[in-house]
Amino acid sequence: MGVKIDGLKCTACMACELACGYHRDDAFALLSSCIMPYRGRKKKDYFGILLKEEESLVVTRPEGVEIMRIGMVEEGDQENEKAKADSSAKPMLLREPCDLCSDVEDGPFCIRFCPFEAISIE
Amino acid sequence: MEYLSSDKIAIIDLASSEITEEELDEDLVKERIGGAGITTTLYERFKDEDPIVLGSGLLTGTLVPASALGIMTAKSPLTGKVCHAPLTLYAGMELKYSGFDYIVFKGASEKPVYLWIHDGIADINDADEVWGKDVWESTDYMREVIGDNMIQVLTIGKAGESGSDIAQVCINYWASGDRWGFGNLLGQKKLKLIAIRGMGLLEIADPEGFVNTCRELLSEVKAGSFAGKKGIAEIPVAMGEEDIKDWIAPLIHRHSSCFNTPFAANTFVYLDEDPALLKEPDIEEPGFLLTDIYGLLGFKKLGSSASDSCRILRDCAKYGIDAVAVAELSQKSGRTDPEEIKKSFPGLKGPLMSSGKGVFSPCTPPKPIFTDFSLPSDGSGDAQWWERRQAVAYIFGIDPLFALMSPELSEEKLLELSNIGTELNLTSEILDSVIGEITK
Amino acid sequence: MNFYEQYLAINKKLACGERVLYSQREGNHSHESGNNNKILHYPRIGIYTGTGASHSWLWFVEIFERVCFYDLSFLDEDDIKNGKMNEIDVLAMSGGDTFSIAKALGARGSEKIQSFIREGGLYIGSCAGAYLPLNSSKTYLNLFNYVNAKITNLTRTLPVAKTNSEKFCTPYGCSFIFHPVREAVRLTPIEVIPFKGVGSLLAPLYGGPPMVASDQTEVLAYYSDFTDKTIFLVDESLARDTLLGKAAVVRKKMGEGHIYLFGPHFEHPHFPLANKLLVDVIYWDSRKISLPNGYVPRDHMVVQGADLKRLIRIIKREISNSRIVAVGLETMPVNWLIGKKVYEPAKIREFLEAIWTRIKCLENANQIIISAGKDDLLTQSVLEITSLLRDIKKEIDNEMAGIESANRLFKLLNKTSKLFLEIYFRSNMVYFSSPRVYSEVMN
Repeated sequence: MGVKIDGLKCTACMACELACGYHRDDAFALLSSCIMPYRGRKKKDYFGILLKEEESLVVTRPEGVEIMRIGMVEEGDQENEKAKADSSAKPMLLREPCDLCSDVEDGPFCIRFCPFEAISIE
Repeated sequence: MEYLSSDKIAIIDLASSEITEEELDEDLVKERIGGAGITTTLYERFKDEDPIVLGSGLLTGTLVPASALGIMTAKSPLTGKVCHAPLTLYAGMELKYSGFDYIVFKGASEKPVYLWIHDGIADINDADEVWGKDVWESTDYMREVIGDNMIQVLTIGKAGESGSDIAQVCINYWASGDRWGFGNLLGQKKLKLIAIRGMGLLEIADPEGFVNTCRELLSEVKAGSFAGKKGIAEIPVAMGEEDIKDWIAPLIHRHSSCFNTPFAANTFVYLDEDPALLKEPDIEEPGFLLTDIYGLLGFKKLGSSASDSCRILRDCAKYGIDAVAVAELSQKSGRTDPEEIKKSFPGLKGPLMSSGKGVFSPCTPPKPIFTDFSLPSDGSGDAQWWERRQAVAYIFGIDPLFALMSPELSEEKLLELSNIGTELNLTSEILDSVIGEITK
Repeated sequence: MNFYEQYLAINKKLACGERVLYSQREGNHSHESGNNNKILHYPRIGIYTGTGASHSWLWFVEIFERVCFYDLSFLDEDDIKNGKMNEIDVLAMSGGDTFSIAKALGARGSEKIQSFIREGGLYIGSCAGAYLPLNSSKTYLNLFNYVNAKITNLTRTLPVAKTNSEKFCTPYGCSFIFHPVREAVRLTPIEVIPFKGVGSLLAPLYGGPPMVASDQTEVLAYYSDFTDKTIFLVDESLARDTLLGKAAVVRKKMGEGHIYLFGPHFEHPHFPLANKLLVDVIYWDSRKISLPNGYVPRDHMVVQGADLKRLIRIIKREISNSRIVAVGLETMPVNWLIGKKVYEPAKIREFLEAIWTRIKCLENANQIIISAGKDDLLTQSVLEITSLLRDIKKEIDNEMAGIESANRLFKLLNKTSKLFLEIYFRSNMVYFSSPRVYSEVMN
């Protein structure tokens, strides 16, 4: 089970980011959120959503979804040569992975606050 | 001011480069609430020093639907009145989290400077490298220098630098709701741009109560009359300009919202790329974000094609000039050719019919959209209603366009949320008083 | 009152020279003396931040600050080799790359650590810090054979990974060290001070050792169960065999001092009971040296007034600038392979936040205590961090890897956070141990 984002319904309004940040910090803040609209290419109108999960970063782009393993780096010329994170690597505590707001009865905050119903549970 | 606030006001003297900071007095908020209520007070306090005041609404940057608005308050070179321009997209939100609730710029710098506002720090920096650049180049430059693509840049272009009355303060690459010639004011102060970014945190008096009320309100709002509609073209359609949809449709790429705003009022058109392309285009500047309803309508009325209209709008944004004024003046002079219009930018001047008469920017339609707010159908109540509705939006920090389409964001609800969030016991009498002050 | 607040109150008394017994630390007023009780002393704690240390040493900082253990030093391998161990009572060694740590410290570092422990010092090793002193024949590790305990996650045959996402094995000569699980596991402590009366507790495991103790090594807690947060990296039955019933925490006396080895990270900020036990270990077994009150070390100076304001403003401005770039990088799917370790952009902010969250405190201070010349060094460092981060951003925008810049950046982040935290904790310590402040607080 996980959060699913419709990249074409999303308008990059950031409600999800603020809602998730609120859930983490009990205040309005954006730094702890595990879901973030990527809005760095506005001149091209290219925006998507990043979702940090336990082991992967789910990148929802307009053209589709890409899942990137956290802690993996391409290395060398061979396609299969990937350097992988040591599983003894210590977690980053500032932005924790999505836990589907498991401690909240009504479910994920991002889903509840998205004005465009671009987020659902899969 | 403990809640929903950074509790800081910056007073920046551009002449001496001195920056002082004050706490945001809770008594001031109890008396003037926020947004235009307080920017007006600050303006009055420093009025002999020709100030420009930036501020955010009391509820800006929260989970209240459409809480996107920042405000710029100053004396308009066009009208001579103290007016308010909306700062939408992400600018209002970023200002709220920047560490300052309000920023006053007074005096004028001798040489070009820019301001970098971040995390409660206001830096005045030399703008020699960026003075002379157009709006797009200026934003690109700042994002490269600071190293972040998410900074919000309020910038003037060549129009503002050259003292044009219809110079606009633009937001990043796009037209803003500044119809007051505030770009000229910044130019006179040799203030090229204000870059904003913040990582702040807003405490809430009753977090659960506030957020639950926001959630309930969002449900009501989403079921409102705008449900199922999106894009800038829906607004003129609602005003009776029905053919605009088909006119613009071939260029539409995607629609986007201002911060936390349930209606996607901004439409990106691809001019040099296939609008159906979903992956990231190779072209650096494939099109333009339409944020200015009346600018778009203005060029449509000139008889320009959608593509030409959008290109001219893009040129206006790059030059930092009010597109509505350009359209009006072009019409008066009989100019319709895009290149001719662009060449006319330097030296273009009024008088203008399209300037607002009141204190709130006429960038939004003068009546309700998609719904009637139970107003008389003959439109007799529209003007007064509109002014009050905009005042409420500018005080609480609600997107002024969305305020016209969502009766669910009532004054009572906004007061209720303010009180849950701040424990300040604001009343409708206080709100009436503030509205009276800022609209007189 | 939670334990942090309780222990904060205790430490305020200790720092001002008041006598408190171990049994009184939780509000018990018993004055019973003897083997079950000790007089508490305010510890001088050294945290290893040198080569091989990951960012989890910042967790030690966080926990110690919560209970107001302000007498902190941040030691790299050169500090240890050059005699700084004389200035501390406790050496805290957190997670990272055990081999790199051993190599960096070398024989000289090992001698210093051994002397330190034998003369009464307390060694706390967590995760990599726990592997370090375990007997080994491997080069560099064989310089640190202080504790004769075997690890049970050492194997000659590569186990089958449950997920093939992470590298869960590290080659170890002809064998492999593998990590059966990650995240919270349940431990059952033994009824021995300082773990007495705890029941069971949760602590997170990120590669630390499960151990089988020898005769001379005392087990203080066993791995007893998994939790619903536990992530299995191998088949569950293999994980059970490897971990459950094995030692999670061991203690060994060495000369006048003690070594505590923790498999899980008791210093993780989200596990209060584990944090409490860690602090109890320090109370119970750290070196007994009296601390003068409110002293400014000889080679330090007091910075106040306009000079202080200017310095703090520079640091705040540049850390803000850096954070802004760092947050932007977190939205770009980019990682760097530096040596054998993968670094994510989020790691940058772990160091920056360690500084940022503490700047306000220094902003409000009347004075700070700083070692001569370190103010200029810190200023240069924070400016360099901003500049480097902006260069990395440009490189990424130009589709370059930025590995060299990232490598320099992470070294600089470590060095700068160490510099800043030294100033921060030294200044807090002087203020905290002032009798006037104590009197105001107690009244």
